[in-house]
Amino acid sequence: MIIHIEPHADTPIYTQLTKQIIEGIARGYMRPGDSLPSVRALAGDLGVNMHTVNKSYHELEKRGIIRIIPKSGAVIQAPVVVTQDSHHYEHITDELKSAIAEALVLGIQTEQVEELVTSIIQDLHAEAEKK
Amino acid sequence: MEMTILFIISFFLAIMETAIPYLIKRTVVFGVTIPDENTRDRRLLGFKKQYSIIVSCFSLVVLVGFWVWGMQANPVDGQLFLVGIALPFAIMFVSLACYVYFHARTSQLKRAEKWGEDSRQVKISDLSVRSQDEMLPWYMYLFPMLVTLGVIIYTVLQYPSLPDQIPTHWGPNGQPDAFTPKSPASAISTLLILLVMQAMFLMINETTKRSGIKLSATRTTASRIRQLTLRKYTSWFMFITSILITMLFSFLQLSTIHEGMFGEGVMLIVPFVFLLVVLGGTVVFAVKVGRAGEDIGSESVAGMADFDEDQYWKGGLFYFNKNDPSIFVEKRFGVGMTLNFANPKGYLLVLGPIVLILVVSFVI
Repeated sequence: MIIHIEPHADTPIYTQLTKQIIEGIARGYMRPGDSLPSVRALAGDLGVNMHTVNKSYHELEKRGIIRIIPKSGAVIQAPVVVTQDSHHYEHITDELKSAIAEALVLGIQTEQVEELVTSIIQDLHAEAEKK
Repeated sequence: MEMTILFIISFFLAIMETAIPYLIKRTVVFGVTIPDENTRDRRLLGFKKQYSIIVSCFSLVVLVGFWVWGMQANPVDGQLFLVGIALPFAIMFVSLACYVYFHARTSQLKRAEKWGEDSRQVKISDLSVRSQDEMLPWYMYLFPMLVTLGVIIYTVLQYPSLPDQIPTHWGPNGQPDAFTPKSPASAISTLLILLVMQAMFLMINETTKRSGIKLSATRTTASRIRQLTLRKYTSWFMFITSILITMLFSFLQLSTIHEGMFGEGVMLIVPFVFLLVVLGGTVVFAVKVGRAGEDIGSESVAGMADFDEDQYWKGGLFYFNKNDPSIFVEKRFGVGMTLNFANPKGYLLVLGPIVLILVVSFVI
């Protein structure tokens, strides 16, 4: 799976990395049980500071996407049932709320937002099913 | 014989220096990053051609001069040796001077033409590339070290039959020409130096393996092939070199233990064959790596360019990037690896063995 980083962009490098790894898993490029490269290896490949990659991996662990096992690396977690009282659910709600609120403020219609959500899910699934 | 060896070394160096612009990846010209779509610019191709013409003409003149002088003037050995050693340095100096000139010209051209300035700069990485890495595992490097230990044990067992003067240096005729009095330490000092070199190869292999695999955003497939080829062949080249020096040193040690075991002809030919094989191996390495991935066409996306790393390359030659944890990175001008000079571990890796070898040769 290819990671694209834009060092001059406004989004910090660690956030770009986190987002792309999550998207890669959603698209089925990587599966639960697969390992991510070591922090040193990925930092070396990208030529970025090890702290940057480390920060991204800890962010992914906090969000329940990977598990960092000392000495053996970062492993992608299998999806679990997320109940409404879990903090992951709360986090997703927050993220969606701010994106949807922005859309509504900009004047995007409710149906358009719903269509958009459906098409994004379809797009992510389409490739995952091909794998 | 001495003249032939000196001539071959300089001749070989001249060919390598001449070919460099055509063996390095095409997106870096004289140490300057050039966007893929501009690499076929007429002026850049002209710079490369001029560089090769100047270096090859200069080399030809000094090499022919050296040969004629050596044949006609019958210089004494010391003179011949001094001139023969100065020759490769002269070729390297002229190549470096040409490099500095064309590096400046290329930088100027890049600024004047504003190449790559309106592109989005991207860094990429392939999360699965390490599973395709074919570098040798570290324990392969233990085999030549075991051979060395075997020869040390054999020397200890044969200690009483060793001569009173232990050779420490061999002349171009293959015969020892410098000696040190026999002692348990001096009997194995060359083998200790050998062990240090073998350990150095092992360490370089491991640190190279831990260094980054740099991919190009605009030439992903080509750069992946080149990086993997470079790593694989660097690893094999060091392994074979380690085996060859082990054979050479063991051979010299055996010829010390059993004086007269090998005839004069063998003593003359073995170091010579060693030299030829190492030089030949270097050519194979340079050509294999230099051509890896070059037949793959451009996959560049409009408006997207590789992250411009020129700021980290001092003079286009020395890599200083304290963010990058890699200790070794691919050279910009030349085929092979160079140090990340911002990483203190790299200095330790290169200077440590040199200090150890000096200690062994002066203290013992």
